[in-house]
Amino acid sequence: MQHNTARYMLSLAATAIVCLAGCKKTPSDATDGSSSGQADGFAAAKATYTIGMSQCNLGEPWRVQMNDDVRRAAEAHPELKMIFKDAQNDTLKQRAHVEEFIGAGVDLIIISPKEAQPLTEPVAKAMEAGIPVIVLDRRVIGDNYTCFIGADNRLIGREAGEWIVSALGGKGNVVELKGLMTSTPGQDRHSGFREAIKDSQINIIFEADMKWLEPDARKEMESALSRFDQIDLVYAHNDPGAHGAWLAANAAGREGQIRFVGIDALPHEGVLYVKEGILDATFQYPTGGAEAIDAALKILRGESVPKEITLGSRVFTKENVEAGGEPIG
Amino acid sequence: MTFMGGSPPSASSPSLLRMSRIAKSFGPNRVLREVDFELKAGEVHVLAGENGAGKSTLIRILGGALAADNGMIAIEGGPVRFRRPRDAADRGIAVIHQELSLVGSMSIADNLLLGREPGRLGWVDRAARAARARGVLERVGLRLDPDEPVSALPISSQQLVEIAKALSLGARIIVMDEPTSALSEPEVRRLFARIADLKAQGCGIIYITHRLEEIYALADRITVLRDGRVVASRPAGELPVGELVRLMVGRSIGDQAPRRAAAAGTVRLDLRRCRVRGEGAGRRPIVEDAALQVRSGEILGLVGLEGSGVSELLWAMFGALGKRAEVEMEIDGQTRRMSSPRAAIAAGIALVTNDRRRSGLVLSMDVVENATLAALPRFSPLGRLRRREEIEHTARTAGQLNLRCASLRQRVATLSGGNQQKVVLAKWMATHPRVLLLDDPTRGVDVGAKHEIYLLMNEWSRQGCGIILSSSEWPELLQVSDRIMVMHRGRVAASFRGGQATAADLLRAAMGHAIHE
Amino acid sequence: MNDGRPDQHESIGALERSAASRLRAFLSSPSATALLALGLVLAIGVAFSGDGAFHKWATHRDALRQASVYGILACGMTFVIITAGIDLSVGSVLALVAVMFSTLSIHEAWPPWLAVPACLALGGACGAASGLVVAKWRIQPFIVTLAMMVFARGLAKTLSGGMKVSTAVQLPDGSWTAAPVPGIFRLIDSRLLGDNISVVSLVFLACIALSWVILSRLRWGRYLYAIGGNEEAARLSGVPVAAMKVMAYALAGVFAAVAGLCQAAQEQQGDPEAGLGYELTAIAIVVIGGTSLMGGRGGIGLTLLGTLIIGYLDKILSVNAVPEASRLMLTGVIIIAAVLVQRRKD
Repeated sequence: MQHNTARYMLSLAATAIVCLAGCKKTPSDATDGSSSGQADGFAAAKATYTIGMSQCNLGEPWRVQMNDDVRRAAEAHPELKMIFKDAQNDTLKQRAHVEEFIGAGVDLIIISPKEAQPLTEPVAKAMEAGIPVIVLDRRVIGDNYTCFIGADNRLIGREAGEWIVSALGGKGNVVELKGLMTSTPGQDRHSGFREAIKDSQINIIFEADMKWLEPDARKEMESALSRFDQIDLVYAHNDPGAHGAWLAANAAGREGQIRFVGIDALPHEGVLYVKEGILDATFQYPTGGAEAIDAALKILRGESVPKEITLGSRVFTKENVEAGGEPIG
Repeated sequence: MTFMGGSPPSASSPSLLRMSRIAKSFGPNRVLREVDFELKAGEVHVLAGENGAGKSTLIRILGGALAADNGMIAIEGGPVRFRRPRDAADRGIAVIHQELSLVGSMSIADNLLLGREPGRLGWVDRAARAARARGVLERVGLRLDPDEPVSALPISSQQLVEIAKALSLGARIIVMDEPTSALSEPEVRRLFARIADLKAQGCGIIYITHRLEEIYALADRITVLRDGRVVASRPAGELPVGELVRLMVGRSIGDQAPRRAAAAGTVRLDLRRCRVRGEGAGRRPIVEDAALQVRSGEILGLVGLEGSGVSELLWAMFGALGKRAEVEMEIDGQTRRMSSPRAAIAAGIALVTNDRRRSGLVLSMDVVENATLAALPRFSPLGRLRRREEIEHTARTAGQLNLRCASLRQRVATLSGGNQQKVVLAKWMATHPRVLLLDDPTRGVDVGAKHEIYLLMNEWSRQGCGIILSSSEWPELLQVSDRIMVMHRGRVAASFRGGQATAADLLRAAMGHAIHE
Repeated sequence: MNDGRPDQHESIGALERSAASRLRAFLSSPSATALLALGLVLAIGVAFSGDGAFHKWATHRDALRQASVYGILACGMTFVIITAGIDLSVGSVLALVAVMFSTLSIHEAWPPWLAVPACLALGGACGAASGLVVAKWRIQPFIVTLAMMVFARGLAKTLSGGMKVSTAVQLPDGSWTAAPVPGIFRLIDSRLLGDNISVVSLVFLACIALSWVILSRLRWGRYLYAIGGNEEAARLSGVPVAAMKVMAYALAGVFAAVAGLCQAAQEQQGDPEAGLGYELTAIAIVVIGGTSLMGGRGGIGLTLLGTLIIGYLDKILSVNAVPEASRLMLTGVIIIAAVLVQRRKD
């Protein structure tokens, strides 16, 4: 009996560890932005604004980049105090974030929602409470928000397709390594691309779902390589996927005959791959972090902002990478 | 202890239960042969018999857990047929086992009213539930908070709660199987008072015990089972102690255990003191201050009925009970701490447990792997297994033991009981023990293998081993042992010199009857 | 191939088994059924060869390389499952080690002879910690290793700052440049014997060989089987149960670390999200091979077969560009089919 109790207590402790490991991040993230906030309060005591930022998942490098962009843009404005929260891919946590922001009486909320449906109502509640909300990257349902800022994956897919058509002279064998086809970005990057190549003589000889993961992309590319002797270009839905494909071709000694195109163009990933000559092109999927802070400042000063801001993309190639890429679309 | 019951039922009391010509076999083994048994309202009917006489089989048939091959059961005159325990419960039969069936973590009320909570649509009416639970507890004289968890109660109260539950389900026939094995004296008295109440309420009670004093304190009638047959069924007053014991043991003693010349030498093992705590709070110790000595070349018989602590004593000496046991012991004059079986093996002790499938063998491994398991370091200097040596050793030992198997690479699960036991013995031969603890080594073993096991014991003792042998087969034990100690409720109650005692002497001592050597 | 123990039929008396009955015994053994399952999978590959890709050696070389990381994890898992335990943390330990290996090799410039042992020690320590809790406090391995799974993943994210540890290096002006890929990464991800076999595959085969020695040739292995078969009997036979369990989990951790090294070298980076769900693949491999989740039965040879079955299955689906949704369903069906074939009669 005593033994059982001890066992029970220990498994309870183990469970607690599991939970703590899962929750630990939230408070530390919240203090992240506040150090700059305190300094700001000192500089401009009167016009200090607090902005709450809820990120749906900091496990993805692109979203880490988004937070970095927001943070960097905010640091240029001493009157802004940022509070960052990470929902760790949990819709309900993110819903709680919004409620906490309302309770804390922040001046503005920036949210990059995980899903539309469950977060529509919390966003509406914030609006009712008189707090403007900027929705970043993914949408909520309806139009009860102040401003939506996002890029258009379909457009980027189309731009990539057009670039590929011209790079291959209108014909050739292409391998498409898709992101998760159950996700909207994967579907849009796929359908935009297909639209652009519709009238060309480009053949998609092999397509596979690599789930946004580098090792899976490498695996699928190896299959494509052993099946087809003539591959002209690989179009991957993200840069790690393109890099994985390059690793496979490199191992087969065929990377010289194949061109690689990716999407996202994070400075330390895709752009760097282009610099190194691994990728031939990468298309930026902008985070909108800087644009969000611009819009936030306008809203807080009482200026008007458009309801929808569609972000432009940039293409990075060997020729323009040192110059910081070229805008497209 | 005095008799506390009401007036004994008269011959004209109505018959609650009648079992007639019940027969049951397990394979070729006939456990019950044409057993007749009757229970009257307001009667305590003691079912007596040695281990293996067929008492528990009879009870399992009555409780619906086992189907009889033949025979009839009638309750209050009407024939009944039980397909599962639930059927028996529905007809008012409750079996209170040694292992209680309460859910320890749940409250008393939950246990009492499990599946019959008052209220509707799934909503439990807590007040009504508590009131009903209190009413049920009243019937066994318990005043307890129904919301307390069962595990917080002493074992005696748990037993009463179980009885209360049976009564609330309308039980009129209550079977108690060794209910006092875990109880202290005052708790036993409390239980007996409740039994008297139950009699007064018109219940019939079938009572199984290994303690003579309980039999005579409670019984209105005694039925003695032996080898699956009823050898007597009489009112308690017409069956004196001596007669009862003679009826229980009176079976022919086979010549299965060969006699040998005793040549006891120096003291091999000197157990100064051994105490084993009971499992769970408030339970009495299973072994209390036991002490014994075994000499080189000597076979010491150790005897006790179920719950006497014999097995636990052997396990404690082997370091297998961990912190539950306190053991002070010397081997060949050196004090050894038995912190684990590993330490015990290093000190030269071997233990053959009474359940080879659960604690003796690794059934998924083959003969060789089992035979060398306890002495593996010897067959693997620097950790590398010397398979050739393993196989040679096993083949040699198998030859000595006359082990029959198709291949030494055969899994032991596929061997017969006797051959499995020989594999266990082979395992301990490999460790060259100085002291052998054998807990019922011939259980479930055929006659031929039994004979070989006894021969092997003789050989071991000739080589200077000290052997402690516990066995449920007393006649055989009487033949091979140089000395016999009897345990009763965790203590050494008597000791006899080999060849001087009879099975009846042992039984009397084991049942707690006054002893004179 | 049998269940890891050579079949020397030393029998006593004149009871030598006939050739026919031995053959019958072999055919009903787990090794034979696993071989049969592998044969079936290969036959599917021949039938659906992906325009003949399945008939090229390169495809098989790649299949073996791709299965190797799973196979290495499965080696460690085999030890734990033989003791009737389970280790859910191997995927996270893989990620932790991949992050640490990348950090040390790319950014801290540790030489391989220091970085590799440090990483193996880290993996072993994670495993030993789980094993200690399982053995000393008798908590179910499932919950202990679940805790370790979450903890190691968290540690990997902490060490890496949530980002992949790649060759990218930020310059003071905020722009990025690439550090060279460490030689040890290139070595692990290279091929030998005229480009015909990957180093990663050789590492996997070495892990199989090492596991075989431990399980079939050393006392420790025998003890592990005894514990899984009947822990109480093992304890009463003087087997140091707690120490052996700690060892089994520590070995699982070390093998997870080896897999982490291979993963990092093949990705040229340490991804804190690497190895998600790999523990389930490793368990599936062990079980499909025929090692019993109840413990005490099975062997490393079976794990090798299980790795090949899963690896080839993966490869065949990939070469034929089967859509993801159908792959998941097919894999589920085939796992169940393989386990049903493996089901023992006793």
